[in-house]
Amino acid sequence: MNTDITETIRERVRQIEVTPSIPAIFHPLLKLLNSPPDEVNLDEVIKVASYDSAIAAQCLRVASSPLFGQSRPPDSMKAAIISLGLRRVETIVLTCCMGQAFAPSNWVLDPTVFWRHSLGCAMVCRKFSEKIKAHDHEKAYMAGLLHDIGFIVNSMSFGEQFSKAVAAACEQQIPLHEAELQHMGFTHCETGRALGEAWNLSGELIQVIAYHHQPENSETGRGLVALVHLCDLLCRVRGLDYGYYESSKVDLVADPAWEILQKTHRELQDVDLARFTFELDEDVRGIYELVSTIFGSPRKN
Amino acid sequence: MMAATRPMLVPATAARGAVALDPVYRHMRDLVYKISGIFQLEEKLYLMVDACGRRMKQTGAVTPHQYWDLLTAHGSREAELRQLLNEITIGETCLFRSQSQLDALRKVILPEIVKDKSKQAIRRLRIWSAGCSTGEEPHTLAMNLMEESNGLLKDWTLEILATDLNDRSLEAAKAGVYGEYALRNTSEYYRQKYFMRAEENKLQVRPEVKNLINFTRLNLQDDSKMLFMKGVDMIFCCNVLIYFDETSKSKVINHFFSNLNFGGYFFLGAAESLMRLNNKFHLVHFPGTIGYWKPSLKSEKL
Ligand SMILES: C[S@@+](CC[C@H](N)C(=O)[O-])C[C@H]1O[C@@H](n2cnc3c(N)ncnc32)[C@H](O)[C@@H]1O
Ligand SMILES: [Fe+2]
Ligand SMILES: [Fe+2]
Repeated sequence: MNTDITETIRERVRQIEVTPSIPAIFHPLLKLLNSPPDEVNLDEVIKVASYDSAIAAQCLRVASSPLFGQSRPPDSMKAAIISLGLRRVETIVLTCCMGQAFAPSNWVLDPTVFWRHSLGCAMVCRKFSEKIKAHDHEKAYMAGLLHDIGFIVNSMSFGEQFSKAVAAACEQQIPLHEAELQHMGFTHCETGRALGEAWNLSGELIQVIAYHHQPENSETGRGLVALVHLCDLLCRVRGLDYGYYESSKVDLVADPAWEILQKTHRELQDVDLARFTFELDEDVRGIYELVSTIFGSPRKN
Repeated sequence: MMAATRPMLVPATAARGAVALDPVYRHMRDLVYKISGIFQLEEKLYLMVDACGRRMKQTGAVTPHQYWDLLTAHGSREAELRQLLNEITIGETCLFRSQSQLDALRKVILPEIVKDKSKQAIRRLRIWSAGCSTGEEPHTLAMNLMEESNGLLKDWTLEILATDLNDRSLEAAKAGVYGEYALRNTSEYYRQKYFMRAEENKLQVRPEVKNLINFTRLNLQDDSKMLFMKGVDMIFCCNVLIYFDETSKSKVINHFFSNLNFGGYFFLGAAESLMRLNNKFHLVHFPGTIGYWKPSLKSEKL
């Protein structure tokens, strides 16, 4: 890609970085998430997570969603960690932070729609990761949650061009990244990568953000990129889309990503895709509800 | 601002009363899925509970556990499962039953088929509604094709085969007279354009719609007749194969595969799946619906 564009993107991302709305715990939390699990100190997580009481309260509510596997709300962060595990609580805190990080102004995509897709993709990635017995289901969750953060950059820093791309995608019923390329010359993959680098996200997550529409081009961690790619496609045909009808036909098994994933995960061939899809439908309502808990109620048109 | 045409998978109404459900019903759900491929969504589970209730009354089972025993005991399980499946699928049919299938048909599949066939200068489309019951499905398909007949399908020859085993259903299908219940998903636009008034506040499908449809009696288990069904572009066989055991189901599906043209599609009911009965079909997703695709010749060579 043109270096001028890359520089423009970086510059604009720097400006987003200083917006006051990012919770103070966001960066320390990301740092914790990036360190190997056995080096993470439980007390430190509790301290970080409890620093912002609004977020802490929200986390406890989210932890009680059946989608996070807890039937009664835990009464403290510590209780949540004991019953759900440290890694899962970290991802819950991150999810809540994301909800507060971006003020609901300046959105081009409907934020509710965006978060339904992102949170939905996170849940589906985790589920799929469990199905194929991958190593780290919570990492799959994070990858799903963050894969499209480039849309946020586009909304905030390239609003005018991005609105045109969104309008064209709705009108022609084509994938959003194709419309971006036509109308902006770059996509949320590049802008997301710039934001991910500014946030010091792990290399694996940056690969996902940058290549989830072309997993075959990813440089490392291809399995995770392929997994997110497939789950993103599935979400978009199952009520967790970008808010418009994409006239698409999705053949997951014939997708190059399937083959990539199959190399490392033989369990893939035993997945009953139809049943997986029906089970995903069952979670859609829960995901809609969670999104209104975390990211505010749907915007009225 | 966003187009409002996307499929709503989540009904607007709140879930039915969240009464704690006897866990044995989840075993029944898994059993029904294993036998028939029908997956009962959690939020629709009450339908299965109702169906079980009716069967329990019939059989004298007092608790769900006693009924579970009937469903699994050696001597009774097959007959009882069949009865339960009958109850589960009873009276389910209506016009415009699956909007996401129709969207997939018009927005994705027809453009694709038209493009492929135009290359070979073919302008003929054949769709088969297998197990059409009282005709709601073939009539819906016919109206949707007619909507395209000034655009995508201009000057095309359209043909819908509608078959069923049940003579009484076929008679009703040919008459094409529907009451409010069957019409509950039919918009004012379609009512005005494709129906006429009939007795008792019912509506009758107009002759130009019926003219596209060829109603015939056919048993899907009749192998010699199945071999004759050729050159079909799409098959809809919704909520029919649920009555079949695995062997006959797999036989019918193999027939369907050879009945279809290369690049053709096969649809089941919204909650059904092929499971592992056939691995030549590709499972493909469209927004809100699953279909099965017989790959075109060129893509198979790749
Ligand atoms: C529940 S109805 C489905 C109606 C319609 N396809 C729908 O989904 O709304 C099932 C139909 O399958 C038909 N059927 C069952 N076994 C059959 C067989 N062996 N051959 C042909 N039709 C059969 C029944 O007569 C019945 O009309
Ligand atoms: Fe994306
Ligand atoms: Fe996405």
